[in-house]
Amino acid sequence: MAALGAWRLLRPGRRWFSETVPGDPSPSGSPLYPPVVASITAKSKAAKSRRLQRFNQRVHAAATVEEKLRLYGKLQRPKYMVYPQTFALNADRWYRSFTRTVLVPGMPPRGAAAKPPVAAAGATREAGRAPEPGAEAPAAAEAPGDRVAPGAAAGAAPNVDIDELRSLACDALLQESFYQNKKRPFLYRDQDHTPGPFLTQLVSTLAASLSGRNPLLAASSLDLSPEVNYYWHHGEEVVLHGHRKGRVDPVRFQIDDNPHLQIRVPKQLPEVVPLESDLGDVPVIDHKPSKLPLFKKQYENKVFIGSKVADPCCYGHTQFHLLPDRLKRERFIRERLEDQIEVVYRSNGIASLFAWTAAQAMYQGFWSEADVTRPFVSQAVVTDGKYFAFFCYQLNTLALTAEAIKNNPRKNICWGTDSKPLYDVVEDGNVKGFNDEVLLQLVHFLLNRPKEL
Amino acid sequence: VFPGVRQAQWLTKTKLVEGLPPAVQGIVDNQALGLQELEERAKHVVSHARLWDTTEVAPRREKYCPVLFENLLHICRLMSGKYPSLSKRMLARKFRISATWERESILLQVRGLSGILMNSMTPIPPVASKEEILATKEHVLETFYPIAPTIDLQEVNVYRELNDTGQCFRDGYPYSHPHTLFFLESANVRTDRFRPEQLRAKMLMFAFGNALAKAKALHGNDPKVLEQPIVVQSIGTDGQLFQFMVFQLNTTDLVSNDGVKNLVWIDSDQNLYERAQCVPEVKKRVVKKPAGIFGFQPDTFKKFLALYLHGTV
Repeated sequence: MAALGAWRLLRPGRRWFSETVPGDPSPSGSPLYPPVVASITAKSKAAKSRRLQRFNQRVHAAATVEEKLRLYGKLQRPKYMVYPQTFALNADRWYRSFTRTVLVPGMPPRGAAAKPPVAAAGATREAGRAPEPGAEAPAAAEAPGDRVAPGAAAGAAPNVDIDELRSLACDALLQESFYQNKKRPFLYRDQDHTPGPFLTQLVSTLAASLSGRNPLLAASSLDLSPEVNYYWHHGEEVVLHGHRKGRVDPVRFQIDDNPHLQIRVPKQLPEVVPLESDLGDVPVIDHKPSKLPLFKKQYENKVFIGSKVADPCCYGHTQFHLLPDRLKRERFIRERLEDQIEVVYRSNGIASLFAWTAAQAMYQGFWSEADVTRPFVSQAVVTDGKYFAFFCYQLNTLALTAEAIKNNPRKNICWGTDSKPLYDVVEDGNVKGFNDEVLLQLVHFLLNRPKEL
Repeated sequence: VFPGVRQAQWLTKTKLVEGLPPAVQGIVDNQALGLQELEERAKHVVSHARLWDTTEVAPRREKYCPVLFENLLHICRLMSGKYPSLSKRMLARKFRISATWERESILLQVRGLSGILMNSMTPIPPVASKEEILATKEHVLETFYPIAPTIDLQEVNVYRELNDTGQCFRDGYPYSHPHTLFFLESANVRTDRFRPEQLRAKMLMFAFGNALAKAKALHGNDPKVLEQPIVVQSIGTDGQLFQFMVFQLNTTDLVSNDGVKNLVWIDSDQNLYERAQCVPEVKKRVVKKPAGIFGFQPDTFKKFLALYLHGTV
């Protein structure tokens, strides 16, 4: 009975014949009344926020990362499936608004972490240096052709033997497209026939030959066709129909990605710019995500980087994506949508890298209520076999839910280039028009490593 | 019907030697290569393939067998940081081989999708010395009288004798020497997989086929004893058991039963690990076996690496 309970609380440990001075606080020091808080089960906004707080405390208090991930994705509700490789028009703007990402054209300047980043269009040191070996290569191949450009900054400019790497790349290309006798490709499976195996060969041989220079690569793990998943909330909406009609729900997204190839490393890549940098604006889109078009489905909420939490290689280095046949350039040109070609590359880069870096951050114990304390950096190369586009992503914040985003000034940053061809054509056992710039950029990506290594 | 390797030996006129050849064994025992540090990585790689690679609780054999193989190959390839000549290798997947030969008036042919082939620019030097090759003249191939040696082989009408690896690769291919063949038995159901004995026989037949095709491409179609024997290696696995094989083709004169024979060294049934526990085994609230890999044998990985490095180290 409430009165009896209050009576007992009123007299905790007080004896009838005690000689304590009146006015002293009671010996145990506990409050006289229980805290007055909102109910847990009522249908009210206060109750909802109290339930949310209890959930947050439960996740904060989880002992292991696996337990945290399990609690984070425990409640299953219909969510938007975000596909990194999509034909939707202007999908990269939508994806940037879902993931709070700023797109900076061009590659981040290397070894310039202290300087303010230059958001110039594609003008990097590597591009400035590459035309020299490109011009000299058809002529006598000399080692000085790939030497460091004079006046380079203190950032490491590797002395790579571009001719050997070029011959490796050409050999891989020729083997897959010319020398090996294969049957005809299956219908609409051209990408699995030649560009897929070429990409696998190229990356594995390049990574192996560059592992002497980059000790991080020597400790890396190469995955073929891994799975990368991430689940998050962003924004709010009102439930339209059903027994939960009228309630305010977070908008849920899930990315399920299958990169062609992925390199995971045991140490994190260094940050490109400081955590709180502001390099641009995030597009704001007033429409519902379903207008993209994006569709909802309810299934398991997965967060996965390519292997489980117990794996020591828990940070990401580079992903390689192969665009499928339904997104090839000829199709867009035929439908007079040339400007959407670059959109395909960009949306793939942004969505895949956001999912990967955010999943890596969750593997380290961060989540939307416990935001990242250090930026997570990963790289990606998106290609359709001939054209290559390079992306570098820095995750600065995971707090994208409606409450957490109110006080969050941070934005994620994605640097990306346009797609450039690696070669012009393969004829009679020769690769014509090989572009060294693209190969050099790929080599730079593979050689990226923390400062102390 | 009965052990397949014996039948394959008769069909390919080969003498069997147990264990790996001394050249490969020398690479395994060579301390300077730093194989000890790689043991830790090999263990991680096995754990990744068997335990960590999937969002489900445990990956299936169709997934973990190729993943384990790719991971092991990745570690081997990373050695090319130390030995730059290792980069002169190229993998060919979905590789088709076809080779024809005659054995005592029976025409035999090997054809098929033989898995994954690794080619290199330089051939592997012969593993057996001249004396050993000549000594095989004394060796008598065991026959299976009264069972015909072509039992369990499919008899087909061959209209075209396809004979060269040039059939799979065009002329002028720089990586023209077959180095190692890899066979992955990754079917989920046990009856769809080859048993170890049958797998070894398959490996022997395909290694022989590749070597024969290369010999005919180099020296022409006349049967003769080869001056420079051709060596082709072969590794087969089902995700846990490994079979290692080194085949040396000494002669293309296969019609008669005497003369110099070919040689094969087989190291069979090498376990890479005893058991992979995905979920801890708990009985009556007590953990009997924690999750992880048990009984990891570093020697098997060292042999894998030694076969990979053979020819360049």
